[in-house]
Amino acid sequence: MTVDTTMLHAYLDGELDTDAAREVEAAIANDAVLRTECAAQRRLRDRLNAHFDPALDEPVPAPLQALLETKVVDLAAARKRLRPRLWLMPVAMAASLVFGIALGQVLPAGGEFGTSDGALVARGPLAEALDTQLASAQPDDAATRIGVSFARVDGTLCRTFVSSTASGLACQEAGNWRMIATAAASAIPRSDFRRAGTEAPMVLQAAQDMMAGEPFDAAAERRARDAGWRGRR
Amino acid sequence: MKRAGPSVSSLTARSEHHPLQVFERDLLALVPRLRRFARSLARDAADADDLVQASLERALKARDQWTPGTRLDAWMMRIVRNNWIDEARARARRGRTFVEEEAGASISSDAHNDIERRAELRDVDRAMAALPDEQREVIALVLVEGFAYREAADMLDIPIGTLTSRLTRGRQALVRMLEAA
Repeated sequence: MTVDTTMLHAYLDGELDTDAAREVEAAIANDAVLRTECAAQRRLRDRLNAHFDPALDEPVPAPLQALLETKVVDLAAARKRLRPRLWLMPVAMAASLVFGIALGQVLPAGGEFGTSDGALVARGPLAEALDTQLASAQPDDAATRIGVSFARVDGTLCRTFVSSTASGLACQEAGNWRMIATAAASAIPRSDFRRAGTEAPMVLQAAQDMMAGEPFDAAAERRARDAGWRGRR
Repeated sequence: MKRAGPSVSSLTARSEHHPLQVFERDLLALVPRLRRFARSLARDAADADDLVQASLERALKARDQWTPGTRLDAWMMRIVRNNWIDEARARARRGRTFVEEEAGASISSDAHNDIERRAELRDVDRAMAALPDEQREVIALVLVEGFAYREAADMLDIPIGTLTSRLTRGRQALVRMLEAA
């Protein structure tokens, strides 16, 4: 077998399987040109590493650190910006709150959730409620209550919901309502005036964070439903 | 870039922390690698940090485009690289030129004992800067950052054969420049 330069480089980069690597090693042993190139490439890699790797040990510059830490601190302020009338949120931060719980282990199979391509998606009555139910026209005793509907930055549409077992944020993806955030019902603060309770704070936070612009009003919600929740994309 | 959906287990892993804090914390942990990567692309360390900052800002705005459970480092490097391309194009339009060589030649009395090391550093920077952009970025991803060919090709949206030929040409050019002296 002839070993060309690209193959030699692939060998040096650890890209070859065991058999191919053995063949390259045999070729190197018998070929002074390959040995020279091999040595030159090892020197090059050493030199690049010596030159660039020290960046890994330098402390993170304050402006970069601040950029990321500000975002963390801003959460409390962001939560207060939630529009109270729309969100109806008695947000008692439940200490036992569980975010993104493994629903498959907690919730009954064949119920409100399923998987599609490894992602958790709405099924059955939950999918139907997300598809058809309008927050502006739902009965107080609806089994699933729809919260807010909105568009993400990329144009896809999302809705929050509260069912008897969970609250969550779901976004349209390939015809499914894919779960972005979910919390089990036991973690949801119960409300006296809403039989179905409200979304868990984490769910609202996730929605707030993803929302591009304002949440839909009743007319926009209806238009989005009538268009099959396809969004701009 | 290929995107896999998040598994239930990846959702579970996120449950221990606030999701937003996790995202920022993970980005913060990536900053040293982003700075190394940016330095292998940009003209100098100051430009590299500007590039990292602009990229982090872009990432924070586009966070919902990242799929939990996929590699945040690859997603982030791709943003850095795209920002660098945008910046390089803008700079080309402004007609800025490289003057570091002349500036380096003017170093005189105060830096004598340092000059050899600085020349060495400049050699690598200068050799990297002399590469065409499409060779520099594959050198940066594979040789500096250690990404596998497949990962690097996905990040650059190029076929793997294109990646390996650019890589071979780039590394031969670097060896020529750095071993000429």
